[in-house]
Amino acid sequence: MSETPLSPGSVAKLTVQALPWLPRPAGKMRERVASLPPEPVAALKYLHALAQAAWGEADLRLLGRKVKSILQSAPPGFSAEARQGGLSQIRILVLSASTASHISDTLIGTAIRFRFLLDVAIAEYEEPESWIERNRAELKANPPDFVLVASDSRMLTLASPLGDDVAAEHAVEAGLARIARVAEVAGAATGRPVILQTLAGDPDAVQFNMDLGLPGSPRFLTSEFNRRLALRARQDSRLVLDVDALASLVGRAAWSAGRYWYAAKYPFATVMVPLYADNLMRIIAAQMGRSRRVLVLDLDNTMWGGIVGDDGIEGLALGSGSPLGEAHAALQRMALSLKQRGIILCVSSKNDEAIALEAFRGHPEMILREDDIVAFRVNWDDKAANIKAISDAIDLGLDSFVFLDDNPAERKRVRDALPAVAVPELPEDPSEWLAVFQAAGYFEQAGFSREDQLRAGFYKANALRASQMERIGDHDDYLLSLDMTLSIAPFDSVGRKRIAQLIAKSNQFNLTTRRYSEAEIAATRSNPDVFTIQARLADIFGDNGMISAVICRQAGPCWEIDTWIMSCRVLGRRVEEALLQYLVQQARLRGITEIVGRYIPTARNGLVRDHFERLGFAQTGSENAETTWRLAVGDYGEKNLPLKVDVQLDWKLASAGGF
Amino acid sequence: MVHASEKTTSSDDVLARVQDIFRAELDDENLVIGPETSQNNLKAWDSLAHIRLIGGIENEFNIQLSLVEIEQTTSVRQFVRLIEERSR
Repeated sequence: MSETPLSPGSVAKLTVQALPWLPRPAGKMRERVASLPPEPVAALKYLHALAQAAWGEADLRLLGRKVKSILQSAPPGFSAEARQGGLSQIRILVLSASTASHISDTLIGTAIRFRFLLDVAIAEYEEPESWIERNRAELKANPPDFVLVASDSRMLTLASPLGDDVAAEHAVEAGLARIARVAEVAGAATGRPVILQTLAGDPDAVQFNMDLGLPGSPRFLTSEFNRRLALRARQDSRLVLDVDALASLVGRAAWSAGRYWYAAKYPFATVMVPLYADNLMRIIAAQMGRSRRVLVLDLDNTMWGGIVGDDGIEGLALGSGSPLGEAHAALQRMALSLKQRGIILCVSSKNDEAIALEAFRGHPEMILREDDIVAFRVNWDDKAANIKAISDAIDLGLDSFVFLDDNPAERKRVRDALPAVAVPELPEDPSEWLAVFQAAGYFEQAGFSREDQLRAGFYKANALRASQMERIGDHDDYLLSLDMTLSIAPFDSVGRKRIAQLIAKSNQFNLTTRRYSEAEIAATRSNPDVFTIQARLADIFGDNGMISAVICRQAGPCWEIDTWIMSCRVLGRRVEEALLQYLVQQARLRGITEIVGRYIPTARNGLVRDHFERLGFAQTGSENAETTWRLAVGDYGEKNLPLKVDVQLDWKLASAGGF
Repeated sequence: MVHASEKTTSSDDVLARVQDIFRAELDDENLVIGPETSQNNLKAWDSLAHIRLIGGIENEFNIQLSLVEIEQTTSVRQFVRLIEERSR
């Protein structure tokens, strides 16, 4: 945390709590924040850039206080401007039975690293149940966006007689029931996602090697509690902050540092707060669709050891036979596992394309196959330009990109040219890369659906469609040749997880960027004033999965389109026109005479600024760049569209992409 | 974490660095402290601020205070003396 200059090669190994994937900070925080641009959004953007370095706890607190003071004196109309600048205001309520206020400023200082303008409310030194009970009305009236139940083992005090299975079961279930109750009450009072924590194992507890199998031992109780908490969180759609995993990563003794508990009731050491805060923000970012989805890999000395152009294929270090080759093979295995999690793999390399591809195809120890890579950019151009080209080609924003390269100079260039791309710092030694890369957690996901596994396939199929389009030339003929079927159904329990994911993650084709929890989505089914659509699209190249969702709210003879989102994978396929046609048909059946649309601009949804105009709506208003639109149902003329519409009352599709 | 502080630690120098820590941890850029400053006469120096100050001093001087020292060090004079003892 001090100012010792670091030179590569002589660097003492950085601890995980020092956030080793981030660049080391330059200068002193106090001086860096002393003179900020006068205009609040500009000042916050400056602080966002500043926050990309690995500042320590005290510096992040200072940064957090700066953010807070800017927000407190922000002028009216600031919110809309911040949103258009890509900064989201979110509020979190932290419920803790121990001390929590000391982490507040660090959370705020870390949040701006993720483009969040965070407002933190803290309830500490009190059982969460009673706090929520007392503040129920206020919570209902002014709900936070997230609730964090910051439980720790000192609050729950799991205990039962040694060797007694039944008693241990009771103790664990009683602890879980308490957390479930808090989550239930908090979720019901706020209607927002609740984040639960696993318990860090207590390094001060008596523990023998056999204890994981001994009912009633602290080790047994904590691990049982954690396992079941995580399983139930998945069932109930709660989010999990795996504090136990963090503590294991840094060492339990270092994490919990008893002196802080004895002196101030801090649940863990202050030096760990930046790591904790970064993890919390990742979960929130994932829930809001801000996690990253693309990994761009360099080739020479990253994918394999050596330079293929100089060393030749047989001279490369890869796979068994050399320690260095093993390390690079491990990196390829990691990339392949990420692909299975739905991460899109791409390659950007300064190389002769033919030679590089030959290595890719011909090296017997290659774990990644050409087929695993969605886009190759192998040439002698600037890497930043290549990454930009990949982003355009696969239609995903640069802020979903991570770039992995062994060369510090290339890393810096890409970081400078494309600040939205995450570029992890890496230790000198490739055998240390993966641990640092994992600790960065770029690809954090809030849930797991079958769509995630299929995603790489979707992008591959898109490449096939592009070549079909090239072959046919005329766009309408091309669309007809795809033989598309759009399947439409109301929201249902089967599709709920994917709908929630779409609502949480869609940023570009999203008219209002309103986020809803799974519970809120489930509630729409019993609300007679809400009309919903989920849609899947299949064609000759395969099933695109669920690609669109619409929520309409009825007010008299009028439907207001509360939410309209679509996956950018199916842009230009006239899906939105087909959905409008369906909406109009349903409106007629129900005596609705008018459909009202609203566009709320953000930094990322410029794509749909003219959405309603293109669909034939007339503009009725404009305020703070927000526009409103109207379509008289009677004026709509049926269109002949190049896709078949298949309306289902239930979601009983037996298609390949089903759930 | 491993590098020891090489800086000289005359009392004035220590006091100046301690003052910087007080300013940062108590969020008061104009705060002026002296040896006589203590928990009794500085209102912002409450029990939570105390832990932050301890953390700040431990970081700055690369030392670690014991639980007893955390509890019993309640004035700037005591902080400076402790730091000087440790840096010798």
